[in-house]
Amino acid sequence: MLPLISFFAACLLGWSGQSEDILKRAIEAHQSGDIAGAIAGYREFLKLQPGNPEARSNLGAALASQGQYEDAIVEYEKALKIAPGNPGVSLNLALAYYKTGNLGKAAVVFEDLHAKQPGNNQVLLLLADCLLQSGEYQKLIALLTPLNTDAGHDLAIDYLLGSALIRDKQLERGQRLLDKILRNGESPEGHLMMGTAKISVGDYPGAMEDFRRAVELNPKLPSANAWYGQAQMATGDTGAAAKSFLAELQNNPNDYDANLNLGVLARRDQDYDQATRYLNRAQHVRPGDLRARYQMATIELARGKVEDARRSLEGIIQESPNFTEAHVSLATVYYRLKRKQDGDRERALVLKLNAEEQAKQPGAQPAPNGGPEKKIP
Amino acid sequence: MKRARRALFAFIALVFASGAAAEVTPVAVCAGCHREQSQGQPDSNMAKALSSGADSSILKQHARLTFNAGRFSYEIVRVGGRSLYTVREGEEKLTVPVAWAFGLGSAGQTFLLTLNGKWYESRVSYYKAIDDLDYTLGARGLAPHTLTEALGRETGNPEVAQCFGCHSTNSVQGIVVDFEHMTPGILCESCHGPAAKHVAAIKTGDAKTAELPRLGKLSAEEMFEFCGRCHRTWATIASQGPLGVENVRFQPYRLTNAKCYDAYDQRISCVACHDPHSHGQQPSAFYDSKCARCHSAGANASGNAKAQLCPVSEKDCVSCHMPRYEIPGAHHMFTDHQIRIARAGSPYPN
Repeated sequence: MLPLISFFAACLLGWSGQSEDILKRAIEAHQSGDIAGAIAGYREFLKLQPGNPEARSNLGAALASQGQYEDAIVEYEKALKIAPGNPGVSLNLALAYYKTGNLGKAAVVFEDLHAKQPGNNQVLLLLADCLLQSGEYQKLIALLTPLNTDAGHDLAIDYLLGSALIRDKQLERGQRLLDKILRNGESPEGHLMMGTAKISVGDYPGAMEDFRRAVELNPKLPSANAWYGQAQMATGDTGAAAKSFLAELQNNPNDYDANLNLGVLARRDQDYDQATRYLNRAQHVRPGDLRARYQMATIELARGKVEDARRSLEGIIQESPNFTEAHVSLATVYYRLKRKQDGDRERALVLKLNAEEQAKQPGAQPAPNGGPEKKIP
Repeated sequence: MKRARRALFAFIALVFASGAAAEVTPVAVCAGCHREQSQGQPDSNMAKALSSGADSSILKQHARLTFNAGRFSYEIVRVGGRSLYTVREGEEKLTVPVAWAFGLGSAGQTFLLTLNGKWYESRVSYYKAIDDLDYTLGARGLAPHTLTEALGRETGNPEVAQCFGCHSTNSVQGIVVDFEHMTPGILCESCHGPAAKHVAAIKTGDAKTAELPRLGKLSAEEMFEFCGRCHRTWATIASQGPLGVENVRFQPYRLTNAKCYDAYDQRISCVACHDPHSHGQQPSAFYDSKCARCHSAGANASGNAKAQLCPVSEKDCVSCHMPRYEIPGAHHMFTDHQIRIARAGSPYPN
């Protein structure tokens, strides 16, 4: 969190008496590293002066430095209510949101700051990272495309924009940025982008090699372990995948993919409590995320909460009518509820969706599935 | 009724989870009361779903099997009561004993190998139709770089647990295989659940307190979920594939797609045609009476069955309505359980 102490110390001049002494001592404690003393001091001061935004913001910063981000957020929000638009407090609030995985809220504050301070590269990159982690690829592309010119060559922007383009399946544009990054020599970022590009065309063994190298070069590169895990999972090595996802969470407890996939693996192993914890975290990072909600619904079904599962699955399908797996599970739910017609309808829908999906595959023929009948005499 | 249904699903979940550390109750003990069901069980296909490399009848009958796969060659030889699996590349070779042989052998057998504490699914399998080795399903397209990769596909513990979970009894605790308490093959408790308490209660004349759920009362849908834990449920294949002819061997999925499938009609349940306590496949005429339960003039027309009568024949129904398909590379014809009017030239329906 960014220290605002010296700035706010100047504000003390207007105060007097007991409260001034309390705040002065709190700031001194904060500056000397006595965070617990500072927190106690700020709280004591705020009992006397609850409408003081600076002390409230300082309390937030002290709490954040102790890792108490949720409490810090409360203080920052109160400070901003009293003094709206303060850029320092806003930045601290956004960082606290970011740290706690509230990426949507963080992005809103970063966007506001970016609009006010378009030249602030730190704000721009944090906003871009929020959008990347939230899966808001198109917003990120719209944000960074104007900045990505041949004249201006910022590797961080190239990397974030290229990653978003590849994950949004705009492979040709993504590849151009990847080439730019690769021209700067071998880098973990280059391997990570190359790996994601390979995954998007189904080359999982190739992607594995790139992710392995990315992790080797920089084990703390954000999302590298999570991508490595996804490639390992796709090739059937779920044990190694779980290790990679856990390694990602060591770096970033709020990584969406790592949480989602660990939830999937725990559900598969019937460890529903653990699965629920991971999936809740994934939903925290991406509120309303359909994939995480679907996994939660399957846990409800596995736990025998059939009515809950029905409600969840119907909600998911309402939002995403072509979500095949949700229709599959809903069919099972309806049959368990003795709603045969509904179950039959869901099954018919699944067969239709699968047939449509197959027809889209390269080289699909009008009768793509197995050729003519081969009846055996 | 609702409670009973919940209990049934809880039981299914329990059996799915497996995990009793107690010894397997021998079939002979069950035969004390359930003679009819137990009599043929030890000779059934299910009971022979797994054997050790030393006990595999296929391997015992074949002193030497060989196969060439590009730069690698394979040999399985019988030596001193066990079979050794060797892969060669030029002068280099790697030899390990066959640890386990999966499958009865009526279609084929795939081997599980161990090397340096890791499991490998053999790259080559035995196929009865050719009485020889060929690529294991799924292995043909892989290009191994080393002898270890050529040995077979490294298989993680969860997958190995799935293999043993469906081919043996009392073997899996979570995702760990419990070899100490495992019995190869599918015996009574694989489906009916742990029976030790039941047997003890019977001995004290208190059978009611340890009654096992009656699987015969499951609806078609419940039975499909139950059998589908190994033979794959409709939901598994519909959401994860494979689509195309490769799914012909997943019978619960195929039959669920049939027009005559009714989730609540036991006449279309797995056990309506197959007795898991005895041999699997019967001559095609055997099944005529099963079809006639719905498709005959006097049949009860309840449930799904509008049950049209076949204008062609009343015999050998399955020979027309359940065509057989070969999965590429499997060297075996699988009966398609998606019962239908199979018109010549029409595509394989997913």
